[in-house]
This record gives sequence, structure tokens and C-alpha cells, in this order.
Amino acid sequence: MTTTLTSLDTAQDARPDSASNGSGTPVPASFTRLYRRIARRETHSPRSLLAIVLAVIVIVALAWVGTEIVIALLGAPALLVAPADMFAGTLGLVDAPVAIVATAGILVAVIGLVLVIAAVSPGRRARHLLSAERTAIVVDNEVIASALARHASLAGNVDPDNASVSVSHRHAVVHLTPTSGIPVDRAVVTEAVTRQLDSYGLRPPVSARIQIAENGRIGA
Amino acid sequence: MNSTNRAANRLFILVIGLTLLVVGAGAAATVLVPVVRDGWSDATGPVTHQVSTWLQQTALGDTGVSWIMPAVLVLLVIAVIVLVVFIARQGRGHTSVALTEPTSEHGTTVVEAAVAEHALEEAISARPEFVASHVSTYRVRRTPVLKISVTCRRGVSPRDAARIVEDAVRALDELLGRPLPALVQISGGFRSRVTATTRLQ
Repeated sequence: MTTTLTSLDTAQDARPDSASNGSGTPVPASFTRLYRRIARRETHSPRSLLAIVLAVIVIVALAWVGTEIVIALLGAPALLVAPADMFAGTLGLVDAPVAIVATAGILVAVIGLVLVIAAVSPGRRARHLLSAERTAIVVDNEVIASALARHASLAGNVDPDNASVSVSHRHAVVHLTPTSGIPVDRAVVTEAVTRQLDSYGLRPPVSARIQIAENGRIGA
Repeated sequence: MNSTNRAANRLFILVIGLTLLVVGAGAAATVLVPVVRDGWSDATGPVTHQVSTWLQQTALGDTGVSWIMPAVLVLLVIAVIVLVVFIARQGRGHTSVALTEPTSEHGTTVVEAAVAEHALEEAISARPEFVASHVSTYRVRRTPVLKISVTCRRGVSPRDAARIVEDAVRALDELLGRPLPALVQISGGFRSRVTATTRLQ
């Protein structure tokens, strides 16, 4: 422990400007790797819910098969299907109605395909990383959109209720409906929104697109 | 933040997905493709014969019951236990210790996570920018990490929210004498949508 503490201190001495605003303790270099892992995990889905649901379904299925086996060994009548009938039924697949087997088979295959896609796709969450010195920060896209809407409506001189913003992985689309008779200055809104986005330092970076409705709204 | 084994989750989903894909496509192909259909019909007789031979050969003592079925049963039970453990392993990783340090030769100083959590919550919860806040501590790579989740009011700039929380964390650094790694999660959510816009700035 003592050695790590010493190394921490030397790391701080070596990088005296790591906290550029000078307030408080600088961040040890050892945090960087930790933060990278946390940031990655916080912006991607763990796929826990899907895995748990599947595991429960598999447990129920296995428990049922197990119960049928025990019942068959005891010689009692089966709950739904005896193990021997399961075996015979699988082999006798070709004698079953073609339409039903084909439909069920394709349905099961499609579910399987969806699961495979879920397993290999990145599963990004609607979140961005915010640049920070001391901590790792993740922000919901919703919060970014809400803040942009406030600044856009202030800059464009429209009612906050007439500004709607949607933030996706790389784009923020600002949609303003001007009050009838009061034109909205697109350049001013663009500048305000871009300055806000720049000040957040989002990762991945988000670029703004401003849409101003053709027709104004009366009394807004 | 938690110690959920994400690779295991994805591997499990992948295995189940591939199994369903193969079984479903196989079943559809068996009834739709004539070649596969004929092959399946031809194989039915020999397979039934083979399996019944196995069941007779593996008789358990003189009971006349094959030991294959009990063996399958044991495998099923093991699979169920493994799956239950798999489910129980999800979302763990909380810790109640923020710092452990051998301060002298005779003892160790332990700072409970509650100290850091209460200090931060005290500093943050009174701010008008936030509707709600919560601080918890997780172990990430054997290091305690603070997780500060705040729910912003409508229209609050994430930069302002970040600055407020970072200031509180820096104050905590001063208090504890050393920095703790921290994650800040800034979210909106339903409560921020129904509350009024802040009159800030």
C-alpha cells in the first residue's frame, strides 16, 4: 500500500497541471484506465435483462423435462408429454402438418436470429460522455436535448414549449416554431446551440442542425 | 459500474440464439426441402432402433430401468443450478468501504463508504438544479468507486450540473485527504419532464 501511495504522489508531482483550474487535488494517472472502463460500461447495455429472462425460460423448460423424466421413472402418467413420446414426436416431425411445422420452425429461427443480433451488436445506450477533469461523467441524451432547447428558445426568442430537440449518437436536431410575426434569426440560434455543444465537450461529438418551421404559431 | 459479467451475458444469449436458429431452420427445412425430408424419414427407423438398444444395454442392476434417464436428470439439475448462479451473479459489486489504509504498524484505518456518500449527498441535494440525487459505492477492479447519480431539472445545462458535482467531489477530496475515483451520471427522466423549467441565469 505504501509503495502505491508513493507512486501516486510522484505521479502527481510529475503532472502538476493535471488539474488545470488548480482547485483541489489533481487526479492520479491511475484513474484514467479505470475511467475508460467505467465509461465504456456506462454507455453500453449489459444485456442483463435479456440474459435473465432467457435463463428463467430455460430453467422452466429444463425443470419441466426433469419432472417428466421423474414421473416416467415412477411409472405415473405424464404431466403433458412423456419422454418417450417427446422422442417419437421429434422423429415423426415429417408426418406432422407441413404448414404448422414450417411456420413454427421459421418463427423459432427468426427469434434465434434476433437473439444472435442482440448478442453481437454493441447495444449503445442513449448517453454521451462529458469531458471532465476530476470525474468520469455520463449524460443522458435527454438532458442535453433539454438544455439545448432552453438555449435555442432563448436565442431564437420563441416560447420554450415551441422548441423541440432530439439528440442522437452524433446529431442534435433543433426544431423551432416561431411566434407569428416575429422572425427567428437562424444564425443566432445556430451560434448559441453550437457554443453550448462545444462547451459540453461530448464524446462522441454531436453536431447541431437547426430547423425553423415555415409557418409561425399565433399567440405562442 | 456493477460487476456483471457482460461477456457471459452475451455468450449465453448467443448460444441460445444460435440453438433456436439451428433448431427452427432445421425443422422448417425438414418439412419443406424434399431431400432433407426423405433423409429424415429414412433415418427414423435406424435411430429408434439404436436408441432402444442403448436403453436396454444400460439397464440399472436388475430393475429393468436404464441409467441413461437418471443421468440426464442429473445433467438437467446441474444446468439449472448453473443458470440460477448465473442470474444471481447479475448486478453485484456494491461495497461499504471507501478507503482502507494501514496507517500505523498496529492498525488500519477504514473509511466507510457512507461517509463519502452522506457528505456528497449533503452537498448536492440542496441545489435547485437537481430534482433528485443518489450516491453509491461500487468496487471496480478492486478499487472503490463512487457513483453519483443526479436527476436534473428541465433545461439545466449538463456543464453546470457537472461543475456542481465536481466541486462537491473536490471538496470531498480535501476532506478525506486523497481523491476517490468517481462517476457522475446526469439523467433527466420523468420527474424532470413534469417539473417546471428552472429560472437560472
